[in-house]
Amino acid sequence: MIPYDFDYYLPDTWQEAVDIYHTLKADAKNPLYYGGGTEIISMARVGSVRPNAVIDIKKIPECQSFGTDGTKLFFGAALTLATIRESGLYPLLSLATGRIADHTIQCKLTLGGNLAGTIHYHEALLPLLLADATIHIANAQCIREVPICDVLNMNGKLTPGELILMVSLNKRYAAYPYAHIKKTKAEKIGYPLVSVAALNVGGTLRLAASALCSFPFRFKDCSFADARPAMDIVRELLADLPEPVLSDTEGSAAYRQFIFEKTAEKIITGFRNGGSHA
Amino acid sequence: MIRKDAWLKVHGKAKYNDDGYPAACLQARLLTSVFAHAGILSVDVSGAWAVPGVHAVVTGRESAVLTGPILQDMPILAAEKVRYFGEPVAIVVADEEWQAAQAVKSIRVEYQPLPVVNTIEDALASNAPLVHPGLMQYARTVPDVYPEENTNIANRVKIRKGDIAQGWKDSAVVVEAEYRIPQASHAFLETRNARAQILPGGQVVIHTANQAPHALRSMLAKYFSLSENDITVEVPFVGGAYGGKINPHPELLAYIASRAVGGREVRVAYTREESFYTSPCKTGAKVVMKLGADRTGRLQALQAEYYIDCGAYTDTAPVMAKAVAGSCSGAYYIPHIQCDSVCVYTNHVYTTSFRGFGHGVSTFAIERTMDKLADRLGMDPAQLRLLNAAREGDDSPTQVTYTKSNLGDISACIHRMKEIMQWDNGIWTKVSDSVIRAKGMACFTKTSTTPTDASSSAIVTFCSDGTVNLNCSVIECGPGMTSSLPKLLAQRLKISPDKVSVNLTVNTHAHPVHWKTAASMSTYMAGNAVLTAADDAIRQLKANAALALKCSPDDVEIDNGMAYLKENPQKYLELKDIVSGVKDSTGSALGGPVIGCGHFIMKHLSHLDRETGKGQTGPYWTAGAQAVEVEYDLTEYTYRLVRAATVLDAGSVIYPEGAASQVMGAMNMGLSCATREANVYAPGGELKNTSFRTYKVMHFAENPRYTVEFVETPNISGPMGARGLGEHGILGMPAAFANALSRAAGVQLDSLPVTNEALWYSVTQSQQEKSR
Repeated sequence: MIPYDFDYYLPDTWQEAVDIYHTLKADAKNPLYYGGGTEIISMARVGSVRPNAVIDIKKIPECQSFGTDGTKLFFGAALTLATIRESGLYPLLSLATGRIADHTIQCKLTLGGNLAGTIHYHEALLPLLLADATIHIANAQCIREVPICDVLNMNGKLTPGELILMVSLNKRYAAYPYAHIKKTKAEKIGYPLVSVAALNVGGTLRLAASALCSFPFRFKDCSFADARPAMDIVRELLADLPEPVLSDTEGSAAYRQFIFEKTAEKIITGFRNGGSHA
Repeated sequence: MIRKDAWLKVHGKAKYNDDGYPAACLQARLLTSVFAHAGILSVDVSGAWAVPGVHAVVTGRESAVLTGPILQDMPILAAEKVRYFGEPVAIVVADEEWQAAQAVKSIRVEYQPLPVVNTIEDALASNAPLVHPGLMQYARTVPDVYPEENTNIANRVKIRKGDIAQGWKDSAVVVEAEYRIPQASHAFLETRNARAQILPGGQVVIHTANQAPHALRSMLAKYFSLSENDITVEVPFVGGAYGGKINPHPELLAYIASRAVGGREVRVAYTREESFYTSPCKTGAKVVMKLGADRTGRLQALQAEYYIDCGAYTDTAPVMAKAVAGSCSGAYYIPHIQCDSVCVYTNHVYTTSFRGFGHGVSTFAIERTMDKLADRLGMDPAQLRLLNAAREGDDSPTQVTYTKSNLGDISACIHRMKEIMQWDNGIWTKVSDSVIRAKGMACFTKTSTTPTDASSSAIVTFCSDGTVNLNCSVIECGPGMTSSLPKLLAQRLKISPDKVSVNLTVNTHAHPVHWKTAASMSTYMAGNAVLTAADDAIRQLKANAALALKCSPDDVEIDNGMAYLKENPQKYLELKDIVSGVKDSTGSALGGPVIGCGHFIMKHLSHLDRETGKGQTGPYWTAGAQAVEVEYDLTEYTYRLVRAATVLDAGSVIYPEGAASQVMGAMNMGLSCATREANVYAPGGELKNTSFRTYKVMHFAENPRYTVEFVETPNISGPMGARGLGEHGILGMPAAFANALSRAAGVQLDSLPVTNEALWYSVTQSQQEKSR
């Protein structure tokens, strides 16, 4: 139960949505864009957020973008993770989103919510970072189309009032060998101890991790085609972390590092053996 | 036989307490403490009163009553200080729940943080802050609870059996170990909830999800100086309880809330978070154990100290400390025992009964130690268990002599378990370069630790068509008592079980007293009461039949829905013709409606002697053997549960499907506790995992293959020879699992839960030690 009243808006266009946001803000209201609602509902229930207005983005055409124009793939912010998972359009994204929560919840969780929410794992971001995806953001004036790496990598945040409409990426990324491994404390479904996504782009390893640090990030690309032991490559990756390894109730930093090492080693070995996904 | 509650439940039509309430019912929400230990300097409720719809704001200052089933140490609302994170500080009553929730947010409490007792070691330190400085002033409801002045010790139970010095002299091999078991949540689906109202005539009506409506009635009467027969407690289906819904909590809050609004009905329903941090949980424990055996492996001496983390208030923990002490030797005979079981206050969530009632602690400790002893002796661990299994003529730690009837056949359970697990084909197998499979075993026994006069009763009435109604007060919280009791009654009346209906809701005004649906004692106590009631009904049926058949009642036999003359079965009456009295051809009536009444009370139980622990806490034991097989991945340091099995001496199995599912459910719970469940506290004593996102229970797909079998050694005092088995399946699981995984990984896993990380830590630590 959310123990207070709040306003609900259902705009038809992104311009309308952004206008409503700024009008409410000017009225000293505290609006939130609303996709699936899982995070808003669960956090408002316990008082961690207290929006007095929500702006539902599900009717905005751009937010429902889905498919391809022949060269690019488009994923709207209001698509549910279940839709993305089942589409298989970008297999790595399907795999990574398919491991966030269970099916029932995936039918509510949206791509935009996973990217912009407060739960700091943002696992849907990993495949997008690796594919040099473009994020389409609406603000008061226009739609910005910028590399997602520039906006959301390493704890990047949107400016208040900005609205994610969709992400797009070059279709060729759907064809590269890929891997995603998620490890949890105890269960198949749960917050990650580490969640690692990887693409093999012609012998170059693109790797991104969530839960290894307090935010998701993409590692510096590296070649794995040489004869070095996989663990050497992993150690090199670990030597260049943006912040110390995370330690929390899901797992200690030492254990997380161990799990990451095993996971990354497995991915590299898999790629070397011509494997496609994990 | 299909469970009596099955159709309602599979159709979603079963009504639980909070499924519906009158529109006029007021709603309450709690303000709970954000500190684990703090003085309350002031509570400013003016903001709450400003919220529209608010009818009352109650704080601890308005309710001085101290409650508790053993030691009355717990206020209904904290007044001078809070002793755990999540403790209720105030309750707001409003027209709507959201109004109450808003008002709660507007209450300002000024706290003075106090040093936090966050571990058992903190509690026992010589200069420890006292959780209850006034400990010695608390009223005690039983003669055998022994708080210790100026300490955090709420009770100490001692076992002194034989001559411990002699025991060590007779021991050629001695192993010592220390164990840790964390507090954990009952994690029932239905959070605790209750409604209370005080009628204009002063009568109190409580609707609640509770395992002990009659005990609740007595406690409420005592705390608020009411007459018991002015109180009605009604309990429908309960959505999981596991011991966590025995003693009143939301009921007392609802009562004082109702009192504050002139008796109007008030609903209190805990949120999921409150279900973790306000509701009581399972006790944690630290055990220090020393076990000795002679060269042949025969156990000689046991020394143990158990420290039970009871959290901020004692509730039933002092009795659980007694249960731990009384079961210290587990399923084995040990001639010389010295043990202390100490109930320790901390600033953790307070604790209460949990499936197994302390026996999970004693079982884990003794069963892990048995495996270590077997290793030391170079003996097969099952063989060591067989050699030492308690049997007829041995005596228990509290010096009760075991008989075949009161103990059952532990050896038979172990033998059968060995067959099921193909034990002799090997208990450690390398499956591949990276995978090892291993098996582990654990035995268990459990008796009850009820009041010495715990009782039950049953009433049997008949409809005019000859069908039967059973009235009793066993709560249907899952175990299927509303199926096994009708089955027992049908068996005794020699009719089909579908001719018997039973009340699925218990109402203290309508249904006769039953102590509590707890302690795995419902089949035993209520079952005996039902059989007595059946016999009483049969006597009356025979008397009515004798009037019609013009014979003595002794000449009548009742079978298959008929009453007939023994000497000439052609002369018979159907039950429908005798259940309401009998009529002759002229219409003239005789006899009267049949009402069978039965009761049962515990016999020969006693308090334990303060110095030696001698005495008898329960009427019999239920014992058995359990085993787990695990697969261990040497490279990933991870494991998988492959299989789990239980062989339990059930005395006689009344309701086979129900019994097997009950044991299997308990096994799952044991494995879930062993592998992941634990309350996690921050350095300040705040509970950190307060939702199912972070407090994980085992998912369905993670279950191993289960096998449940029964041995049947009749329990002479039990109904049809039966023993209780509601809790027992949980007891040996953690130890059997830890024994298997310790064997697989070559480390000693002595702290629960054993997560993958804990396993990784143990293995890498041990590798580092070896390489040093």
